[in-house]
Amino acid sequence: MRVQKKPKFIRVPFIGELALSGVRPIIGILLGIIAGGVLIALSGINPFKAYGAMLQGAFGSLQSFSNVLVRSSPLLLGGVGVALGIKAGVWNTGIEGYMYLGAIGAAVVGIPALNLPPVLHIALALIVGMLFAAAWGLIPGFLRAYRGVNEVTTTIMLNYVAIFLTSWLVSEPQPLAEIDSFYPMSKLFQESAQLPILMKGTSLHPGAFIGLAVCILFYFILRYTPFGFQTRMLGINPNAARYSGVNTKQKIMLIIMIGAMMGGLAGAIEVTGLKRRVYMDFVTGVGYESVAVALVAGGNPLAVIAAALFFSALKAGGATMSIQTGVGAPMTSVIIALCVLFVIGVGISERRRLSKAVDKDEPDKVGAAGSKEDPNVI
Amino acid sequence: MERNEFALQMQNVTKRFPGVLANDRISLDCKKGEVLGLLGENGAGKTTLMNILYGLCQPDSGQILVDGQEAQITSPLKAIQYGIGMVHQHFKLVDSLTALENIILGIPSKKPLLDLAPARARLLKLCEEYELFVDPDTNVWRLPVGQQQWVEILKALYRNAKILVLDEPTSVLTPAESDQLCRAVRRLTDEGRSVIFISHKLREVMEITQRVTIIRDGKLIGTIPTKEATQKKLAQMMVGRPVTLVRKPRPVIDKKEPILVMKDVTVNDDRGIPALKNFNLTIHAGEILGVAGVDGNGQRELAECIVGLRKPSSGTITVRGQQITNVTADPSFIGFIPEDRQKTGLVLDFNVSENLIIKDCKRAPYVKKGILQYPAIKKHARSMIKKFNIKTPSGDVKARTLSGGNQQKVVIARELNPEPVLDIASQPTRGLDMGAVVSVHDTLLDERNRGAAVLFISAELQEVMALSDRIIVLFRGEIMGDLDGGTADVSTIGEMMLGQGSEVGA
Repeated sequence: MRVQKKPKFIRVPFIGELALSGVRPIIGILLGIIAGGVLIALSGINPFKAYGAMLQGAFGSLQSFSNVLVRSSPLLLGGVGVALGIKAGVWNTGIEGYMYLGAIGAAVVGIPALNLPPVLHIALALIVGMLFAAAWGLIPGFLRAYRGVNEVTTTIMLNYVAIFLTSWLVSEPQPLAEIDSFYPMSKLFQESAQLPILMKGTSLHPGAFIGLAVCILFYFILRYTPFGFQTRMLGINPNAARYSGVNTKQKIMLIIMIGAMMGGLAGAIEVTGLKRRVYMDFVTGVGYESVAVALVAGGNPLAVIAAALFFSALKAGGATMSIQTGVGAPMTSVIIALCVLFVIGVGISERRRLSKAVDKDEPDKVGAAGSKEDPNVI
Repeated sequence: MERNEFALQMQNVTKRFPGVLANDRISLDCKKGEVLGLLGENGAGKTTLMNILYGLCQPDSGQILVDGQEAQITSPLKAIQYGIGMVHQHFKLVDSLTALENIILGIPSKKPLLDLAPARARLLKLCEEYELFVDPDTNVWRLPVGQQQWVEILKALYRNAKILVLDEPTSVLTPAESDQLCRAVRRLTDEGRSVIFISHKLREVMEITQRVTIIRDGKLIGTIPTKEATQKKLAQMMVGRPVTLVRKPRPVIDKKEPILVMKDVTVNDDRGIPALKNFNLTIHAGEILGVAGVDGNGQRELAECIVGLRKPSSGTITVRGQQITNVTADPSFIGFIPEDRQKTGLVLDFNVSENLIIKDCKRAPYVKKGILQYPAIKKHARSMIKKFNIKTPSGDVKARTLSGGNQQKVVIARELNPEPVLDIASQPTRGLDMGAVVSVHDTLLDERNRGAAVLFISAELQEVMALSDRIIVLFRGEIMGDLDGGTADVSTIGEMMLGQGSEVGA
């Protein structure tokens, strides 16, 4: 450091950087929508009409908007669970499995008549669901923290285990299973264990509002508590976290378990609020979509709210679009996937630009990635 | 001079990273059939220079000539085309593939299907030729480290490397394997190929090289023929500071309460090999104990086991009678300035005020009722910035944006402000400019005068001598000598650093 440089700011000024980080997902999403529009046009349908139908399907009436909210509930909760992991540097991709476990937990206490007042019975069902999921999350959490096993592998594997476990539990002759049913499903939840419907004629349950509250809560925790402070530190620089006295292994396990609890809560709310039973295969990809939500949100709990609402609007509107214009139903998933890809893509190109300007600490990576960089940037 | 005498010439290569001039107009050349030693401490810029040669990063200025022709090495692929082969210190092998598959990995093939037979035949011939035997069909993760290195070398030879760079090749080898490596290197040079041998182990450099280029702090110190060099001379060129540090006067401190007591401590390094063997050490209050020695002789493990980041396999460590079992995050007890401020000491993407409380984030006044008190955190940052003269626009800027010296001040402010009983400073001045070095020294001296016990680890002999009340010299995890800081002389310590001194009573 013979040549001392003055404290140096990024070329893109500070505010520019902030703006960029907020703008990035929006640009990505716009690109995704445009690309989706091209695909719709290729299938011979006017994309403006298709998107119009989608908008109408999502926001056309209170009923349709309530549908968006219902769909957003698992995405909000699952998304914030994954987002917390992202902040701590782990990829908690097991939301799908946690949702099944949460549903099982809720069923265990929600199906038998416990003669509890509704408030208590619901709370019990949700809490037991979260605990079941937390126990499930203990497995990948422990393996990642103390044995160094990649959490993506274990959580995805365990998703399948959870799916089959649920299928088994809701098939006769297991005690939870409905008798003589046409499809494997559990018995109906007790009235007292069902979440209330907030609007007549819709299936709007409080799940979305619980999800919103949890997202805000986690934003607050990450920003304003020592726990959140250490979590962020763990994600940015695990060495420094360990050095400053954080029990990093325990913390990683805990973070994965908290993510699991959020997934479990999402599952418990789905069954107590919407399905009223646990069906075989009742979650079909929502858990993975919540990973996409967290990814688009860049791990920020407040951005999770926006991303989850956006995705659920796409899904809710997608059904209408499909009915009214004949666009294939899977198009919604395609658009979601395109949005995720573009958000990540925009993120990478932008990071490369920023790294050219400031971050030359890792010569290997930068050098390999941007070999044509201007040597005079710094 | 014949045009093609040199296989490689690097001229005035300069590379700058934020706040660090990693390479400052470094020139080196390597003749055909020559082994050139590249000597320098960790962080001197060797690796950056070699990364530039291998196309992993681009120099800000300067040029590279291969076989007398200017070469634009923009990527490792280009480097390979120019006949440059690199064996990194940390192997770049795919563990789950076989040795043979690793070797042919990345070689473009015109055939749609892999045909391993000719490759295997060629590999076996290379093995035979250089006596570097590996089983081509064993998965790399099953191979012992020594053989993994052979795979790396064979990989380069398979690509017809004319210039082979070996980055600290012997650090993972057994003595027998090192001999094997030396034989292979000789055979290579007999064929007219060139080898650049990076190391900070002087003995090996003396044995194997014809000439040695020494760099320090990113600058070229010189190139000398190995025949004219002695280990002592090389050591001086490698660690010496250009500016002489003067020993400052200091008050005599009477109270000699033992603070740190280490008894029969054995600590393993990352590879599971003992880095400190039956180590005994006592540091008293009001004393700076300097640890001299060439890097990698147990210094890092010493610091890490005292602060609890590394568990000793036997022995006890106590600080003021209290046994160290876990990471001690209480800075009012032990202050620890870690060796690598950017990787360990700071969270570069946190701002300065956050970095100042990463160990205190659960303590009042920074937390009240479980909520972080940002006003208190910022107020603390303002006072620290003032007290330690940290040059930063405010506490709200990211630590990444500060210069190295000011980053170090942030670490020091956090670690030393609550007046710990024991300070551990591991290479606290590495990479700093002279002004910053002096300010670090003054701070440590103040700590001593206040009555703290200070463990000062540095590979810079001059600063150890300028600052320490007592000096121990580490060589291969053992104390070669325990000397008085005021009377010790360079040559004695220098010899001990090379493992040649005898035990001197304290």
